[in-house]
Amino acid sequence: MKIKQLLFLSILILGFLSFTTVTESTKYKCMIQMTNYTGEAAYVVVSLINPDGAYEKTLYVQGDDEEWYHDISDWWKFYGKKRNNLDAITGATIAGGTRTISVIDIDNSKIDTGYSIRFETAVEDQEYYTKDVQFPLTSESIKSKQEGTGFIRYVRMMPN
Amino acid sequence: MTISIWRYSHLTLAVSSFVFILLASITGIILAFQPISEQIQPYKTADFETVSLAETISTLQTTYPEIIDVQIDANDFVLASVITIEGESITAYINPKTAEILGDKIETSKFFQWVTNFHRSLFLKGIGRFFVGLCSFLLFLIAISGSVLILKRQGSIKKVFSKIVNENFNQYWHVVLGRLSLIPIIIITLSGVYLSLEKFDVLPKEHISHSIDFDELSETPKQQVQDFPIFKNTKLADVKAIEFPFSEDVEDYFTITLKDRELVVNQFTGDVLSEKKFPLVVFLSSLSLNLHTGKGSILWSVILAIATANILFFIYSGFAMTLKRRKSKFKNKFSKDQAKYIILLGSENGSTIPFANALHKQLIEAGETVFISELNKYTTYKKAEQLVVLTATYGQGEAPTNANKFLKLLEDIQQEQKLTFSVVGFGSLSYPDFCQFAFDVDQELNNQFTQLLPPFTINDKSLEAFEQWTRLWSAKLELQIEIPKEDLVIKPKLSNKLKVLERTDVTKNPDSTFLISLKPKKSLRFKSGDLLAIYPNKDYRERLYSIGKVNGNMQLSVKYLENGLGSNFLNNLNLQESFKARIIKNTAFYFPEKASRVILIANGTGIGPFLGMLQQNKKQIETHLYFGLRTESSFDLYKEQIETLTLENKLKKVKLAFSQEVDKNYVQDVLFKDAQFIAETLQNKGVIMICGSLAMQKGVLSVLEHVCSKFNNKPLSYYQDNQQLKMDCY
Repeated sequence: MKIKQLLFLSILILGFLSFTTVTESTKYKCMIQMTNYTGEAAYVVVSLINPDGAYEKTLYVQGDDEEWYHDISDWWKFYGKKRNNLDAITGATIAGGTRTISVIDIDNSKIDTGYSIRFETAVEDQEYYTKDVQFPLTSESIKSKQEGTGFIRYVRMMPN
Repeated sequence: MTISIWRYSHLTLAVSSFVFILLASITGIILAFQPISEQIQPYKTADFETVSLAETISTLQTTYPEIIDVQIDANDFVLASVITIEGESITAYINPKTAEILGDKIETSKFFQWVTNFHRSLFLKGIGRFFVGLCSFLLFLIAISGSVLILKRQGSIKKVFSKIVNENFNQYWHVVLGRLSLIPIIIITLSGVYLSLEKFDVLPKEHISHSIDFDELSETPKQQVQDFPIFKNTKLADVKAIEFPFSEDVEDYFTITLKDRELVVNQFTGDVLSEKKFPLVVFLSSLSLNLHTGKGSILWSVILAIATANILFFIYSGFAMTLKRRKSKFKNKFSKDQAKYIILLGSENGSTIPFANALHKQLIEAGETVFISELNKYTTYKKAEQLVVLTATYGQGEAPTNANKFLKLLEDIQQEQKLTFSVVGFGSLSYPDFCQFAFDVDQELNNQFTQLLPPFTINDKSLEAFEQWTRLWSAKLELQIEIPKEDLVIKPKLSNKLKVLERTDVTKNPDSTFLISLKPKKSLRFKSGDLLAIYPNKDYRERLYSIGKVNGNMQLSVKYLENGLGSNFLNNLNLQESFKARIIKNTAFYFPEKASRVILIANGTGIGPFLGMLQQNKKQIETHLYFGLRTESSFDLYKEQIETLTLENKLKKVKLAFSQEVDKNYVQDVLFKDAQFIAETLQNKGVIMICGSLAMQKGVLSVLEHVCSKFNNKPLSYYQDNQQLKMDCY
């Protein structure tokens, strides 16, 4: 009798725990520093990329004018179909030479499991960089500074 | 000439851009409510102005484990992006003194976003933005050409804000509102153009970049954030944004954005590591944005909304005016140098235009080349043979407004060939100096050209008379033309029904003058000084009478003339009989709402409106009446009313002048004796009103002119511009 109850209870707790571990996430401060390019302020989309290299989730969008979203073409193919509400994870575009700090939320289960984070940038009438910055999410990289290849000079991440 | 260039540009610009301007204005009015809706939120704290940067930063740091940044918006709301002890990431308005959360960030509603988008690009992205920017610039040009038009209209810069003559609703309000919203509109358009230019990379884009010597950075001497001198000495109200250090490395720092510069501050020592001023463009950009959107000021947002609503009215009234002008303007098929026949017109209120147009039309149909214009536009006509002048006379044999320069032009301009001319004068035999100006024109023309027909006069727009002249004239020229009468008749719209209540017996008055009291429908609104237009024969012939509102009814003082169309009509109406007429508002001749003193000057039937005004002088403004009549018994008609007014304290003093008694006295002679009193009245902002015959007006004005220059050292026109002189004479 007692054992049964204990068993039931432990299953219940285990169930809850496993359930909560799935959704457990950490907030990261993320600083994006732009190069000194001239022209319009840049749209920057931060996405979670799964081990197969496909978009899994949009983490942050710098740029709130939806009118231009489809110019960020690779991401648009993923986001454009569903058009989830991005209000909570949207900031302003980032002008050349400036930087911005935002808070992004990443599930703990995505760290050290083959997932990557991608920063893609687009500037009106200029280039579009799908992988301006992209690096695998590891417990090391998530505290590091990564150099950019396009409009981004570097990205710094820090767990909170 | 110059006025038409400006008017033409004003119109062309408006026509070419009104669709965009219309759309931008409608959306603009809606958008003006966005900053208002934001600003009424209770997120501004009472001590916002006094809090120092040090206080805000240190309370935030003790309350939240992590702060990303803080922004202070145009509404003075402090928006902080923080991570709470519970690990939650929040962006919310806070109290800068206590770090308490006041409310979530205001997200622009989808509706406003949609409207904004439409407003700046009409959903056409780059091209749309370009067009909106261009139209904003065009609107700026419209405002400029409009102000030039106002300037020309008012005569000088000084007079720009003086009274505008209320000729018709659209025109009056177009000018009045144009003047009032000129400055907001210029600001809206220029800032709009600036914002568009900014989007098109036309303006230099400069971003501040700080150069920091990272090797020199030191963590010592360490100070508490609240002790940093730069933070203590800076008021939060002067700050636009604070970016907190990314990490606790000494390489990460505070970035403080002030209104005019940006500071980088060491997070340990509080040293200012770099300080850069913003370039002018940044300042202009934020200025333009705030001015254009009304951000941060409810008052300015409201002004913007009103000014933008005015733009809608300008579009409407502007087009209404243009259509009207087009309608009444002469449509010429041939140019002035092509035409054989030149028709020149002089008209005060446009009532002779149908005659001129009808003649023009018939000549064209007869295969002739004709050019029609106003007398004031007299110029050379290379192929002209026949000159026809159709003109009314204004006042005492003077030229109508669009003909007042003609005689001078006639002297100055020489025609290359000999012309033959005929003059037709329009007028009414009820007035002295019947068609005098037409005779003057005929005489002057005779000095240069050959007269085809002696001057022909037309009484009361008589169609028969005009027909007669046409016959004479065309016979002389061997032309086959006939003018259909229906072209000439314009039916007035008679909307007001009046019933005859009382009428005094005209035969008992020595001057054949009678008072008639008419009862209007209850709903009819009118004031003493308005004009009643009656149409005795229910045709185009109209007679005007100045109304006195007595006991809620219309009282007219009418001089009976044997062949007088109007006076016969009014005298022959039975009591209780009704007839239709119309009211013409005459706001320029209303009794003043306030004045230190009022002097009323009238002769004969000119007393009519004053009797009404005096009865409504409930405020008992000190009023003096100077009244000119023929004989002492002429006064009997008004005696009772005037005595009552005096008893009721609505009229202080009456001075009478009798022109047919032993001591011949005109009203201006009595005035002259009271010169000092008159001067003093004008000096003390009193008002003088004149009603009666033009002859009396002329005499009175010369006395007033004399009085003003002698005692007050100012021309009479000074007081007239000040609206201290109101006249309604006939």
